[in-house]
Amino acid sequence: MRLRPVWFFPTRGNAMIVKKPSIFIYTYDPDPDFLREILAGIEEEGVFSEVFARNTENADRLAFEAARDSMLGSGIGLSGVDAALQMRGLPEGRNVEKYHMPTYGECRNLGSNSARAIKKLGLKLD
Amino acid sequence: MSIVAGVDIGNSTTEACIGEFTKGSPVRFLSSSSVTTTGTKGTVANVHGIMTALKEAMEKAGRNVEEIDLIRLNEAAPVIGDTAMETLTETIITDSSMIGHNPSTPAGAGQAAGELLDLDRIGQGTAGKPYIVFASGQHTYEEIAPKINEAAGRLNIVGMILQADEAVLVWNRLEKKIPIIDEVARIDKLPNGKMAAIEVALPGQSIRMLSNPYGIATLLHLDAAETRTITPIAKSLIGNRSAVVIRTPNGDIRENVLPAGEIYLDAPKPVRIALDEGAEKIMEAVAAAGEIRDVTGQPGTNVGTMLERIKNGMTEVSREETGEIRITDILAVDTLAPVLISGALAGETCLEKAVGIAAMVRTQQLPMRKIAERLEELLHTKVVVAGVEAVMASLGALTTPGTQLPMAILDMGGGSTDAAIIHEDGHVTLTHQAGAGELVSMLIQTELGLKNRLPAEMIKRYPCAKVESLFHMRMEDGSMHFVQESIDPRFFGRVVLLTENGPVRIESPLPMERIREVRREAKKKVFLMNAFRALRTVAPDHNLKNIGNVVLVGGSAIDFEIPEMLMEEFTNYRIVCGRGNIRGTEGPRNAVATGLVLSYTGERDDR
Repeated sequence: MRLRPVWFFPTRGNAMIVKKPSIFIYTYDPDPDFLREILAGIEEEGVFSEVFARNTENADRLAFEAARDSMLGSGIGLSGVDAALQMRGLPEGRNVEKYHMPTYGECRNLGSNSARAIKKLGLKLD
Repeated sequence: MSIVAGVDIGNSTTEACIGEFTKGSPVRFLSSSSVTTTGTKGTVANVHGIMTALKEAMEKAGRNVEEIDLIRLNEAAPVIGDTAMETLTETIITDSSMIGHNPSTPAGAGQAAGELLDLDRIGQGTAGKPYIVFASGQHTYEEIAPKINEAAGRLNIVGMILQADEAVLVWNRLEKKIPIIDEVARIDKLPNGKMAAIEVALPGQSIRMLSNPYGIATLLHLDAAETRTITPIAKSLIGNRSAVVIRTPNGDIRENVLPAGEIYLDAPKPVRIALDEGAEKIMEAVAAAGEIRDVTGQPGTNVGTMLERIKNGMTEVSREETGEIRITDILAVDTLAPVLISGALAGETCLEKAVGIAAMVRTQQLPMRKIAERLEELLHTKVVVAGVEAVMASLGALTTPGTQLPMAILDMGGGSTDAAIIHEDGHVTLTHQAGAGELVSMLIQTELGLKNRLPAEMIKRYPCAKVESLFHMRMEDGSMHFVQESIDPRFFGRVVLLTENGPVRIESPLPMERIREVRREAKKKVFLMNAFRALRTVAPDHNLKNIGNVVLVGGSAIDFEIPEMLMEEFTNYRIVCGRGNIRGTEGPRNAVATGLVLSYTGERDDR
């Protein structure tokens, strides 16, 4: 017998959450090493993440939209070698952190911070 | 018409008050100012601060410093407060034997014991033996995980210690799950081949085995004598989420009880009391001793050097012979100080018992006259040294609306807590007690383990809050505060102090509750103790019930919670107690300076 997928849609009332709450990473031609480090940062903090390819090149815009669409309200935009961290509620362009050509350490921290923001822990700054 | 300036030099601040006297009418106050005291109170170095204070005050009044006709300095009491701190116990670990460690993200759960094995030497491991593998930060998780997975078939690997913050990353890639601890900075100090035990607690719990001496004994096969020696380790690991204990057979861990020494009180009834009896006993002895002439410590012990240091410090600044400098009062407070364990690997600390002591140092008459002369030279204005500090403070305090004689003032400054009672006939009883704002700062600094005094000073002054989202913070009293503009992300998730210039971040990762508790306890220990001590000394028949009202003045009376703490306590004695409001405008500041200007009313000849 073939099982057919059953979809739950969040409705008004107490609908069950079937989607994993995750940090969104919107990318446009991302540097693979930077992406790997960002993902490692999130993983170390034990939070889920999802990566999507987008058509926008602007890192600010990518981060803004990722934060807006993420159920957790935390999003990262990675366009080439530009990485930005956003949180839902902040205006576009006002990133929590933004780097052009970051070091691997900075990428790892950016990932950690996107997760720490949700966990309400202080951000790693160095 | 003449302009008179009153200047009060305190331990930490210099205050000025400017008054204008016109023939036939009462004094008109023009302005006031408060600046940091330069140099030790009562030395010529103060002149610099006085000049700044005067300039500031005259500028506020829209006038020039040269227009001052008379400067009145307080006859500062020749007492200077100082503080010192000494730990009574000390944990020493030689041959580095432990890591009590709280990384934010360890991985796995449970405890394990095995021989330490460097990842680089993993080929040298023998089958059947339990191993705890450690890896330096040069290895990435992508390298470590496959190596461990490959070796796991051959060796019995029970746990891991990492230098980098990658425990979860490695753990997620392991086939056989084991507890992993990360962020161990000094991984190079781990001895290859020694027995170690590690433990990671379940989420939301703290470790159980390694914080229990018998737990360590079980994991590392210790005998009764060895178990006794590792007790301090277990003690210092309580409350951690993860920990490592390494057994170094030659290692020596002990809790040293330092020879704390005795304090000698030279008084009508001489007393000697051991420092490790605790603050309470010491203070009982001080209270029972009567008027103290001098306090000394047993030579060659902690307290001996501590008191000697205070005296020497005073000698250096006031250039007096040590014989002339006497300690006339001490305030001892018990405290716990996190002290870096000697021999620790990851910068671990252990809470050690400590005693903080504030001392009231009496020197010879302070060279106020010299300060006056120097000021006269600089400003070409007449400078007089007028009136006793406490009397002036009382005069100033009387300008608080709603006060009457007889009245008690409690002047809580930086270095000392002074109390005075003015009776209806004008005579004044006064006392100087050791310990005030600076001792509170020192207690906060040591108990929270802060590296320097400035953050402690800030914590003392401002309430704290935790920034919980970019748009709201939780105040220390539990209430929420929302802001329109998003808070700077640098403050996110941190504890901040709410200063008048916006939030200031506290660098140490301390929970807000702990900061608040330490701050309030420090204030209570010092100011409640001293307020009662001081008022009991000056009260008629030494009975607090004979005091009707108390006006709080001085720098520490500005504090956002000390006056309330005192008010609560004094209510039990039916004493009206409150923060002074000098001239109805100044708050608790400027009492002495105002008193100095006011006292001129009685002296002037142009009435």
